Amino acid sequence: MSSANLHSSPERVIAELQAIVGEDKVRCDADTLHSHGRDWTKAWEPAPLAVVFPRSTEHVQAIVKLANAEQLAVVPSGGRTGLSGGAVAANGEVVVSFDYMNQLSDFNAIDRTVRCQAGVITEQLQHFADEQGLYYPVDFASAGSSQIGGNISTNAGGIKVLRWGMTRDWVAGLTVVTGAGDILELNNGLLKNNAGYDLRQLFIGAEGTLGLICEATMQLTRQPKNLTAFVLGVENFDGIMNLFNRFQSEMDLTAFEFFSEQALQKVVEHSKLPRPFESTCPYYALLEFEKLNDETEEQAMALFEACVEEGWVLDGVMSQSLEQLKNLWRLREDISETISRWTPYKNDISTVISKVPNFLSEVENIVNSEYPDFEIIWFGHIGDGNLHLNILKPDSLDKSEFFEQCGKVSLAVFDIVQRFGGSVSAEHGVGLLKKDYLQYSRSPEEIALMRHVKQVFDPNGVMNPGKIFD
Amino acid sequence: MKVLVAVKRVVDYNVKVRPKSDGTDVDLNNVKMAINPFCEIAVEEAVRLKEKGVATEIIAVSIGPKVAQEQIRTALALGADRGILVETEEDVQPLGIAKVLKAVVDKEQPQLVIMGKQAIDGDNNQTGQMLAALTGMAQGTFASEVAVDGDSVAVTREIDGGLQTVKLALPAVVTTDLRLNEPRYASLPNIMKAKKKPLDTLTPDELGIDVTPRVKTLKVEPPAERQAGIKVADVAELVEKLKNEAKVI
Repeated sequence: MSSANLHSSPERVIAELQAIVGEDKVRCDADTLHSHGRDWTKAWEPAPLAVVFPRSTEHVQAIVKLANAEQLAVVPSGGRTGLSGGAVAANGEVVVSFDYMNQLSDFNAIDRTVRCQAGVITEQLQHFADEQGLYYPVDFASAGSSQIGGNISTNAGGIKVLRWGMTRDWVAGLTVVTGAGDILELNNGLLKNNAGYDLRQLFIGAEGTLGLICEATMQLTRQPKNLTAFVLGVENFDGIMNLFNRFQSEMDLTAFEFFSEQALQKVVEHSKLPRPFESTCPYYALLEFEKLNDETEEQAMALFEACVEEGWVLDGVMSQSLEQLKNLWRLREDISETISRWTPYKNDISTVISKVPNFLSEVENIVNSEYPDFEIIWFGHIGDGNLHLNILKPDSLDKSEFFEQCGKVSLAVFDIVQRFGGSVSAEHGVGLLKKDYLQYSRSPEEIALMRHVKQVFDPNGVMNPGKIFD
Repeated sequence: MKVLVAVKRVVDYNVKVRPKSDGTDVDLNNVKMAINPFCEIAVEEAVRLKEKGVATEIIAVSIGPKVAQEQIRTALALGADRGILVETEEDVQPLGIAKVLKAVVDKEQPQLVIMGKQAIDGDNNQTGQMLAALTGMAQGTFASEVAVDGDSVAVTREIDGGLQTVKLALPAVVTTDLRLNEPRYASLPNIMKAKKKPLDTLTPDELGIDVTPRVKTLKVEPPAERQAGIKVADVAELVEKLKNEAKVI
C-alpha cells in the first residue's frame, strides 16, 4: 500500500490530519520526513507522506479511522532505534510519532506500577522508578532514545534479560488502538487474569502490525543492591560457556555478556576507555551480580579462582565503584555505536543456551570460509542464548553490493539457525530486514495463523504494512 | 623511597545524594560508598612510582570507621604494600585528619605523601596543606605531573589559566588533580593477593590525637531545583524578557 492508493489527494489527507492533531503537529518538511521515516537501519530511503504527532489516545484513534477511510498506510514511530526496519516508511505512509505522548502518571506504590504514554523514553521510566526507590530492569544501549511503545512493540530485551526477562514481563496493562480503530484496554494491570485470551500478549512484539500502542501500565520492582561487575578474559568460546555454567550454578547473576577482542579494540579506540587489563584475550565475559555482603564477594572470588584453575579464565577485574561499573559496561554497550561507521550487517540470532558453542562455531566457519574479507564482530547475551553477529563492510565494497553479499551470508546463517531450532530474530524483531527469513524460524502453518490474526485486528491492512510478512 | 598515600571512604561519585529529612546531614543509608576519586589517583601515582623503581614501599592509610578497610583493600589491590586504618566513628574534619596523618608520618617517616586535593564529600581542599604545615614538609598541590629526581620532586600544578612547575625538596606532600593519571582497575588476582597484605589498625587515642569536630554543621539542604526553560515567540519577546525579567541587558 502506498500513497498511490489514497482515496483522496495527499493535500486533502494532510488537511484531515491537521484537523485531528492541529496544524503544527503535522510535518511534511524534508528533515522531519527523513528523520522520522526510518529507524537505525540505513538500508531504506525514507519517503513518508507526512509525520503526525498525536497527543492523546483519541488523536491516535482518529488517525487510524482516517487511515481506514482513506486507505492510508500507518507506520508507528518511537525512538527510532530499531534495527530491523520496523519503523521505516518508504512508500508514502503517514508516520505516527509518539514524541509528544511522553507523560508518566498514576504511579501506584502498592502495585508498583506506573502508567506511561507510548512516547515515554526508556531512560525516563528508569529514572522515574529510581526516584520512587524502585527499578525498571529492561535496559539496553539505546535506552536514552528508545520509547516504551517501541520497546513493547518489539518486546525489547537487552542486557538484563538473564535475571529480569524481556519487556513482555513488565507490561501489566495496555491501551491500544486496533487497526480497525477500536480502543482496547487490555489487562488493566492485573497480575492474575485467566479470563479468556490475553490479547495484550499479541500486541507485545507485533511491531505495530495489529494496532498502535498508546499507553502502557508498566510494572516496577525493587532496586538491585550494590551491582558489581567482573570483566574476565577468556581463552576460547567453550571457556565462556563453562564459566557461565559454573557461576550460574552458584550465584544469581544479573547479567552475563560476552564480546570479542576485535569488538573491545574498536570500543577502546572509539570511546577512549581504558582496557580492563593489559593482557589481550580472544574473548571477554562481563558478569554482573548483587554484592550483598562480603560473603557474596568471597563466593564470586572463589568461583573466579576455580575458573582460573580450570584454565577457562586468563585474567579479570572487578568494579570498585559505580564509575568503574559504568565504564566496564560501556566496553560492551558502546559496541553497536562504535561499529556503526562500518555500516554493519547485523544478525540477531538465538538458540537454546546449551547449543550456543556449536552454533557459534558453525556460523563462524561458514562466514570465514565463504567471505574471508569480511570482518566479524561477535557480541551478545550468552545468558539467554542470544548472539549478535555483525559483519563490517569492507571499504572496498559499496553499500548495495555489501548488503547483497550479506543477504547470501544470511541464508547460510539462517540455515544453521533452522537446524539448531533457533530464532532469526532474538530481540530485534522482523520488520523489513528479516521478513524474507521468517520461515527459517516459523512454520508455514504458524505464519498463516499470524496473517489471520492480523486480518482480525487490521481488516483493511493499514497498520505498518509490509512488516514481518507481506 | 617510602610513599604514604591517604585514602578516604566517601559516597560514590555517581550516587545522587539526598539530605536526611531533618536536614542534619546527607542520608548515607544504603548508599554505595567508594574510594574518593582523587585518592584513587594518588594511589595510582604511587603505584606508578613503584613500577618505575622510584618508590620501594607504599603505605595506604585511611581514617574512619571499620568499614573503611574496604577502601584500604582497594588501594592494596591496586598495588599498595600495606595498610593502616586509624579507626574512629567520629566525623573527622580536615584539621583532625591532618593531625592524625602527621602522627602516622612521624611514625613511618615517608619521603613522599600523596593525597587527593580534596574529598568529594566535604570538598574542603585543606588536609594536604594542613599536613604540610604541621610537618614542615614542602607542598605541591593540584598536581598534574609528578617527577621525582633524587632528593627533590618536580610537581606541575594546575593553576588558574595555566600550569606552574615547582621543585620541592623531599620529604614533601603532593596533592593530586584530576589529570594526573587515569587509575587502573583492580585486577581479581590482585584483589585476592590484597587480602593477605598486612593491615594494621590504630586509634586516634593511641596516636594521642583529639579528633573532636571543631566545625558544626547547621543544616544540609538540596540546591534549589532548576526551573524549566520556556520558548519565546520571537526575538522581540526574547529581548523584552532579557531586559525586564532577567535584567541582563
